[in-house]
Order: sequence, then C-alpha cells, then structure tokens
Amino acid sequence: MPVFDQGYQHWKGTLSGHAGRWLAIARQGIKAQLRNRRTKYLVIAAWTPALILAGFLALWGLFEQKADVLKPFMDVIKTILPLEIFEGPRTFRSSLWTLAFDAFLWIETGLALILVLLVGPDLISQDLRYNAIPLYLSRPLLRFQYFLGKLGVIVGFLSMVTVVPAFIAYVVGITFSLDWSVVQDTWRVLVGSVVYGLVVAISCGLIMLAFSSLSRNSRAVAMLWVALWLISGVIAGALVDSTRNRFDDPATAGKESERWWALSFGANLNRIREAALNTPEAYRQVVSAFQSAAAQAAEMAQGQMAGRNRGPFGLPFGPRNRPPATPPPPAHPMEPPQMFASRINPPFPWTWSAGILGGLSLLSVLVLSNRIKSLDRLR
Amino acid sequence: MLFQLRDVTKRYKQVTALRGLTVSMPEGAIGLLGPNGAGKTTMIRTLLGLISINAGEGEVLGMDIRRKRLDIRQATGFVPEDECLFPGMSGIEFVGYAGELSGMRPRDAMQRAHEVLDYVGLIEARYRKADTYSTGMKQRLKLASALVHDPRLLILDEPTNGMDPKGREELLAMARDLAQAKGMSLLFSSHLLPDVEAVCDHIMVMGGGQLLASGRIDDLKRHEGRQLMVRTKTGQNEFAQALKARGLEVEPKDDGLLVSLLDGDGPEYLWRLASETGVQIRSLLPRRSTLEEVFLSALAGAGQSPTPGSPTAGAA
Repeated sequence: MPVFDQGYQHWKGTLSGHAGRWLAIARQGIKAQLRNRRTKYLVIAAWTPALILAGFLALWGLFEQKADVLKPFMDVIKTILPLEIFEGPRTFRSSLWTLAFDAFLWIETGLALILVLLVGPDLISQDLRYNAIPLYLSRPLLRFQYFLGKLGVIVGFLSMVTVVPAFIAYVVGITFSLDWSVVQDTWRVLVGSVVYGLVVAISCGLIMLAFSSLSRNSRAVAMLWVALWLISGVIAGALVDSTRNRFDDPATAGKESERWWALSFGANLNRIREAALNTPEAYRQVVSAFQSAAAQAAEMAQGQMAGRNRGPFGLPFGPRNRPPATPPPPAHPMEPPQMFASRINPPFPWTWSAGILGGLSLLSVLVLSNRIKSLDRLR
Repeated sequence: MLFQLRDVTKRYKQVTALRGLTVSMPEGAIGLLGPNGAGKTTMIRTLLGLISINAGEGEVLGMDIRRKRLDIRQATGFVPEDECLFPGMSGIEFVGYAGELSGMRPRDAMQRAHEVLDYVGLIEARYRKADTYSTGMKQRLKLASALVHDPRLLILDEPTNGMDPKGREELLAMARDLAQAKGMSLLFSSHLLPDVEAVCDHIMVMGGGQLLASGRIDDLKRHEGRQLMVRTKTGQNEFAQALKARGLEVEPKDDGLLVSLLDGDGPEYLWRLASETGVQIRSLLPRRSTLEEVFLSALAGAGQSPTPGSPTAGAA
C-alpha cells in the first residue's frame, strides 16, 4: 500500500473544441514515424536539394546585382551564359527561378514517393491489425476526422520535403536579391510550388491511405504502392516505345506515342508540376536564348575562323589552323532541341493529369469509406 | 436522469436489434444484463451516438442522442469488450493519446495519464509497450484511457473478461469506488451477475431488443413471503427434524435452514416451535430472491430462455 495514495481525482482542465481533434492523430502519427531512423534520414537527405536551390537563388540574386563577391567569376559566367542572359538577367529571372524550382521539385517528388512508402503503409493497416478503430470512433471524433488525421501525417511529411523547403529557399532567394520587384516576378513560382506540393501530398496521401486500409499487412500495402508508382511507369514507357513506329511522320509519332505517359503516376505528377509552375514558357525563353547564342557563336566562329582563326564560339582556345568547318544550320526558333521538345510542348494537356489524379483520389476516398466503416453495424 | 430512450428502434437490414426500447435510468451504477442478441451492444452504441436509430428519441446526460453525439462521447468514457489497442505505444502514450483525442492539451493529457495509470495500478508498467501487457493489464489500460478525460458516465462492456480473480476483484473495487465515492455514473454490462451485484445499485434486463425489467437491485430482489431463512444458535439439525415432522419443507442453505411455511402459518409458528423444542433462534429473515432469479424470471416473463453466454452466477 503506497504511503500516499491519492485514489481517483477529478480533472478540471479545459478541453479544445471538436474541430481540431484530427490534429492529435496527425501529431501522434508524425511523432511515431519520426522514431523510424530511415524516415528521419530520408527527411534530412531531402533537404539537400533545398540547400542547393537556396544556394542557386542566392547566387542568382548576387549575379543580378553584379555583386563584388562574384567579380572574380564573371568571366567564367560570361562564357557559360548567353550574352542575352548575362547582360539582362532580370529579364530571365522568372524563367530561371521557375526552372530551378522545377528541378528541385522533380527531385523532391522522387524522394516524396519513397517517403510515402516508409510512412504510409502502417497508418491504417496497423489500426486494423490492432483493432484500434473502435477506440478512435468511441471518442468524440468523426470518421472524417480520423481520415483527416491520418492524411495529415502524410501531408505533414511531404510538406516537410516540398512546401517548407521551397518556401524557405524562396525567402532566401528574395533576401539575396535585395529587390522587391523579385516578388512581383516570381510569386507564381512560390504559389505553383505550394499548389504542386499540396497536390502531391493529397493525392499520394489519399491513395496510400486507401492501400493501407486494404490490408492488415503493411508489407503488402508497401508493395501496392511500389506497383502503382513503378509498374505504371514501366507500362507507360513500354506503350510509348511500342507505339512510336506506328506513325510514318516521326514528329507525329513522338507526340502521339508520348501521350501514353499519361498512364504513369509519376508522369502525371510531373505534368501537374509543369502546369503549376508554367515551366514550358520558362524552357521556351531560356532555350531560345541559348539557341540564339549558339547561332551567333557559330556565325562569329565562321567569320573569325576565316580571319583570325580562333577556337569555337570565338573563344581564344581550341584547335587552330584547321580548315573552316561547315557552320551548323541555324536552329529554327520554333524547333527546340529534341531533349527539350517535350518540356516545351508537353505531349498531353495537364487537365488529363488533373483528371487522372483526381479520379484516383476520389476512388481512394470511396475505398476508405467502404473499408473503414462506422460502428453502425452488427458485430 | 442518466439516460432515457423512448420507443427506440434500430434495424440492421433484416435484423431488428432494438424494438421500441423505452427505458429511463437514474444516475448511479447501472448493470446491463441480457442474453446474447438481446441488443445490449446496440443500446450502448445508441447511447454513445455511434449509430443512427430508425425511430425513437432519447437523451444521455440530458443531451439528445441524435444531435449531440460528440458531446455525449465527450462526457462519456467507454471500455470496449474487444481487445483493441492504439498500435506501437507504451501505456503512458496510449492513455495520453486517448486524452488528446478527447480534446486535452498534450501536456495535460500526459500529466493526467500518469494519474489514472496510478489509479488503475499500472504505474510501474507505464513505459512498457501496451501490446506486451497481459489481458488483465490491457483491461486496466482501457479503463485508464476511458477515465483520462474524467467522464461523467463510464460504460464498461464486460470489463472483467479474461482477468484473474485478484485482478477482477481489484477492477470491481475500482468500479465501486468510482460509482460510490467519486460520483461517476456507470453502465456496467457483464455476463457475471456477482460482478454486477458487487458494483451496481440498479439493473436493466434486456431481451429481444426490449427492456424486460429494470429498477433498484434491492427492490427487484423481492421478499419471498412464504420462505424464511432460519439460523439457530444450537441444535439446527434437531430443529430441522422437528419442522419436517410437522410437514414443512426444509432445505439446508448456507449456514442456516430455508423453511417454506404452510398456508395460514406465519413466522410466529417457527418461534413457537423453537420454544417447544428448546432451540434458540439467532436470526429469522424472509428469503430474498437472488439476482440470478430476477434475471431468469425477467426472461421467463418475456417468454425467452437464457442462451449460452447469458449472465450467470458463476465467478470468473
């Protein structure tokens, strides 16, 4: 018998309202998943691209101001960038920010899909295994709030690797630009990043929750997720390759066959990202600048080789005293290099992707609603 | 009034679980009895606002069961019968989490979790994973998580299932303490009549989705006017022989004699006979029916028979 036995004491604290109860589920889920070392390391690793993005934006801000700190590198930068960009960086600010965020979010999407694989399978399947659903539903909590809490775990983790670092990188970029007009030029990049981050988090979250509700075995759930992600990509790739030869015109063949990418889960996410950030326009502007620079360099090279016989692109190095090379045909502004063709002219409209992801999300909600029933049933 | 239901009907497709159930129970400790399929679980779910009823109305703690579902659950703690756990948590996290789900701030919930785990006797095991607990410990854990937000009504569904006798006694003592000393109302569903009798002051007997009997246990255990329980100081056997010789039915029961009087005789007859035979009567009480008899009589009155799993007088 304890010396000081209080027995049961009534509690006189205050309770929060019903609306925020889902937050407790999300908070607990995030806390539990962060105990997994692999999850923690992946989240940390996912911040590396964000550091690179922030570094790039900071450098670009300094470059726009022609800061003294960059002076020693200006000659090198001048050889890398087309003159048009070098002399008027602010004209290209929006496009380069867009492309930088696009690259960042592309990498983060891959990491996010792995993160969902680590975090998601247990979320509902474990509750089914331990018969925890009646414990939740007998509390002052709606079924919808239970789902929202579980979704909050995935949204929380994916936000940690997409929206939050994108936002911080954006702030870093603005800070180093020392120019408020940068907000006017680039707000769309931030909004696009947030929108895309939420699309990834919500669509992946709903699909993973639906998978998680299908089985009490978390490994089976993980395999379903991998199947959706990888197998859809493999099937789409195989269809693209197999249909490419059906058309006589190679240009039509490429365009038509690449539409099969719409079957790939990852490709649909990419297409939404392109639409949210408006990357085709950014690619068009930057690629066009590089193409013009290449054409000018070729013309100059031709003239100079005839005269001073300098290296390629007029640079004072490279092979000399050789017969003048045949200049490359000038690239048509409407015909970008093949590697950027699909970036500038996407093979299918983003609305297809929105429809597919929306449909998958809706299907997931139906599965969830059907699998996790209320207690309004016979045992 | 703890709760009242009026003409509540609940159907699951072809199965009617509650048939116009009308019941009104006062605050206190209520025992819920009934054979399997009587509608006990459906009634508990109705009270918790977990199901939509087809007809009828009702209130729990003055709150409408259709419109104030979350408020009812806020004011109620529920210990389900099935084994169910929040996965991957220690005892303290389990109870703290239950508190957070009830709207407590994380710090409050954790502090309160320590208090209630101490109360249910799990303070030493609070940092162990809950899935390593024994059945009895899991029952205590569920009780702690139901108590964490200090409910006004505690619903216990077969709380002593799978518990050893000592653990069962302790849990019953806690339930008694909560009901009698702490002013918490209880709805105690159990197959074990001694458990119900040990904790509750009222019972309700259900069968076929209807209320068969309800009221104070003391009132329901009516006096059997023709039967008397006699205890003598000495010579109990001789006294029994004398009673039998005069045509009375006598049955040894516990440490006394259960005597059925003949028509027209009263207790004074036994006093006179004792005087004649030189036996000193220590106590003479009218026999009261047991809870088991009350239960069986309620079922018999409704034309039902107890089924396997029905309440019994057996101890765990």
